[in-house]
Amino acid sequence: MRKGYRTVMFIGFVLFGILINVQLRSTLASNPNADTSAKEYAIELEKERNEGKRLMEQLAVKEAELEQLWQNLGTNSNNQEINELLRKRDFEYLRAGLTTVSGRGIVITMEDAPAKGELDVNEYIIHDGNINDVLEALKENGAQAISINGERVVFNTKPVCAGPTIIVNENRYPPPYVIEAIGDPDVLYDAIETLPQVAFMRLTDIRIQTEKKEEIIINRYRTYSSTESQLKGIEVIEK
Amino acid sequence: MKLFKSISLAVVCLILGVMMAWQFSSVKQNQVLAQYEKKNINEIFDELLIEKNNNENLKLRLQELQLEVDTFKAGETDVQENIKALEEAVLLARIKAGLETIKGPGLIITIEAGGIKTVEDRHIEELINELKATDVQAVSINDERIVGMSEIRKAGDYIMVNGNQLVPPYTIKAIGDPDNMERSLRLMAGVLEKFQYYEFIVNIKKEENVIIPAIREEYIKIDKLTPVR
Repeated sequence: MRKGYRTVMFIGFVLFGILINVQLRSTLASNPNADTSAKEYAIELEKERNEGKRLMEQLAVKEAELEQLWQNLGTNSNNQEINELLRKRDFEYLRAGLTTVSGRGIVITMEDAPAKGELDVNEYIIHDGNINDVLEALKENGAQAISINGERVVFNTKPVCAGPTIIVNENRYPPPYVIEAIGDPDVLYDAIETLPQVAFMRLTDIRIQTEKKEEIIINRYRTYSSTESQLKGIEVIEK
Repeated sequence: MKLFKSISLAVVCLILGVMMAWQFSSVKQNQVLAQYEKKNINEIFDELLIEKNNNENLKLRLQELQLEVDTFKAGETDVQENIKALEEAVLLARIKAGLETIKGPGLIITIEAGGIKTVEDRHIEELINELKATDVQAVSINDERIVGMSEIRKAGDYIMVNGNQLVPPYTIKAIGDPDNMERSLRLMAGVLEKFQYYEFIVNIKKEENVIIPAIREEYIKIDKLTPVR
């Protein structure tokens, strides 16, 4: 009994010693040369990101709740005017990109070159300009809805290069960049495959895959800012 | 004596547990932070600012939604209130889609060739993209409203927007924060500096009341889209 007890104590203290050692070392190693303020910002950034995720979840729940209330109102009340307005709202949401939609189209996957060659490093990575070229070609060829990595393209969507990632509608995405478009799959496919800029990118091994699809789902545009701030300073003029 | 041993054993185990938890969390945190190691401090700081701003907006939007839910529940029987809310939602969607003519503060930019180089579709595109990056609320080129699926293409020596041919001088109107927009256009090595090099004649005017017309109803096509609930 006494022996067993001692063994337990022994193992306990050995572990304890190792732990103190490891902890101390990791604390010492991470601190001295590292830029402490950079680390502080990084910690804060991580916190804000998690907070952002939490808020987005809450937002989705609230939106669903409100939508349900409207749907209930539509079915419960026999008010002609309300039902008419609900139909009109659904139609305008569809036109404004505020509704998730499906249809035939194409999927384009773009990824940086696997390795740097002899040219400048910039020739081997995808820039916002490259994505804009693809978007422009899709729009010119009758695309009716487009998304980049799940972010709906609306009138003021502009992918911004940020280091090795892009920001679309204020959200950051790393490669591969996936562009989906609903429209005539054959027309869109040919437009992208014959686009000179795509050929240029392929010359430096930037990987671009184009695929026709019978069904594509494109998310609705998500509004993260308040209605008030969106309408700040503007006034509607009757035609 | 026996009691003392039990207590000391308990204390050791407790400390061991706390140490392990501490160690575990610090290792985990280091793994999370490792992804930032390759970035410099400015990048991290910029990202932090964007993220903070986004979260602020999200909070405001949440409050707004909560208020809508509350008023809805409180006045479930108030038909007039509901009609008003629905009409507002319709109007907001129509503004977003570019189907309403709107007025607000912004910039009026005219651009025209001054040297040998003509103004091409890609130059206009570049300028428009620069504006899009600044919270712009509406943009037009020679009064053609830019909507989600608007295309700006080359048509001979001129450009074509929304299927209509436009001729220079090109007048770009933008509603939004005028100072902000001008600043982003005048950035070093930015779009205006490039235009100067091409000898384009560019004129930027800040205005209190910029009027941007709506797009034609039939331009926005949705026949290939099926709504998904």
